[in-house]
Amino acid sequence: MYGRKACQLVKELENSESGQLTGFNTDLFAQVIEQCDGHVNNLQALLRKMQEVGSENQTAKNADHFGALMHHLSLVRNKRCLMAYVYNRAEIVQTLGWTVDCVLPEEIEEKLSSSEREYFKNHSATLKSYMSDLDIDLALDMVPPKDPYIKVRVLEEIGTVVLSDQLANLARHAILFLRRTDAEQYIAQGKMEELTG
Amino acid sequence: MANYYDIDDILADEELVPAVFLEAVNGVGLFESNEANRIEPRSKVELPFWLAQELHLRQAVSVNIPPCFNKKTREEIGADGAHVDLRSRCSYFYELGCKIVQLIGDKTIGSLLLVAFQTRYKEVLIKAHTAASALTPKFLSLLTKEETKLYDAAKSSTAAFKTWRMGGPRFQKAAVLGRKRKPIGE
Repeated sequence: MYGRKACQLVKELENSESGQLTGFNTDLFAQVIEQCDGHVNNLQALLRKMQEVGSENQTAKNADHFGALMHHLSLVRNKRCLMAYVYNRAEIVQTLGWTVDCVLPEEIEEKLSSSEREYFKNHSATLKSYMSDLDIDLALDMVPPKDPYIKVRVLEEIGTVVLSDQLANLARHAILFLRRTDAEQYIAQGKMEELTG
Repeated sequence: MANYYDIDDILADEELVPAVFLEAVNGVGLFESNEANRIEPRSKVELPFWLAQELHLRQAVSVNIPPCFNKKTREEIGADGAHVDLRSRCSYFYELGCKIVQLIGDKTIGSLLLVAFQTRYKEVLIKAHTAASALTPKFLSLLTKEETKLYDAAKSSTAAFKTWRMGGPRFQKAAVLGRKRKPIGE
């Protein structure tokens, strides 16, 4: 059935957890494009045939006309599926730029296609330059803090880092009081967790 | 028309509807068995909605009511709407209903959708706010796509209410990174 493969591609998006990326399905993507080529060939053949027959044989012309129409509709449909696949993934890639700063974890990077990687790089660079122009970190939490410091536990070895107010040794399992603004990016990257109570 | 990039709208368009061809069509290999690449008038087929709709508007095919809106389903919904397995019949029950009604003008579909949604909505919210998670998988498998979304929304709002009342951590790991990954060594 026409458009089945393209639909599978969109289903893949739907089945992945919302906001999560799955590997770019290059194989299926190429197959859909190949199908589109087939539709174009069929469409052109039918159009040529219609021109040759001319207006004499009305019933045969109608049948060709509807054949061409079906190929045209399938093309439009395939296009919509492909566009939706790329577009919805690009939206996720954009949110990556806001949440994980410009270091992309390996397990996500390998799921992106090369143009998506490029997109991420340029998008986060644009964000960065905009924020430095404004001199405000727009990715920070919007709710004003009750206390500028929070208690965190380090989940991954980070090493000694210069923070805005101190030189801290962020060893694994260490529990520290940090400024919220310093801790935020590490928590977003999953390297720390906030402790409460 | 809904958003061009909307995944749910695209998938709802893929649902099959029964249709009858009114015109002959050349050069189309719709079915593998058909070697002549030609569809004769009066052949009965199941077409995805996106194709059936356009062909119906050009009077090449005539679309019939899909089986998920048949008499049996209507009776079941009338009897106990909340426990009808709509997912296996059509996981885009409401969306397809809204779309198909514009084509065939069956006035009863609208009220059927309304009754089904009203009875099921109540049940979905009650389950989402109260039921223990062990109980739900069986119930969840009855829901259409839209109802599942409602269920998740209700569930997450309950969870958000709880964290607000108890005061949980404000910061969380970015959702894009996935939740399953555990720190190494545990």
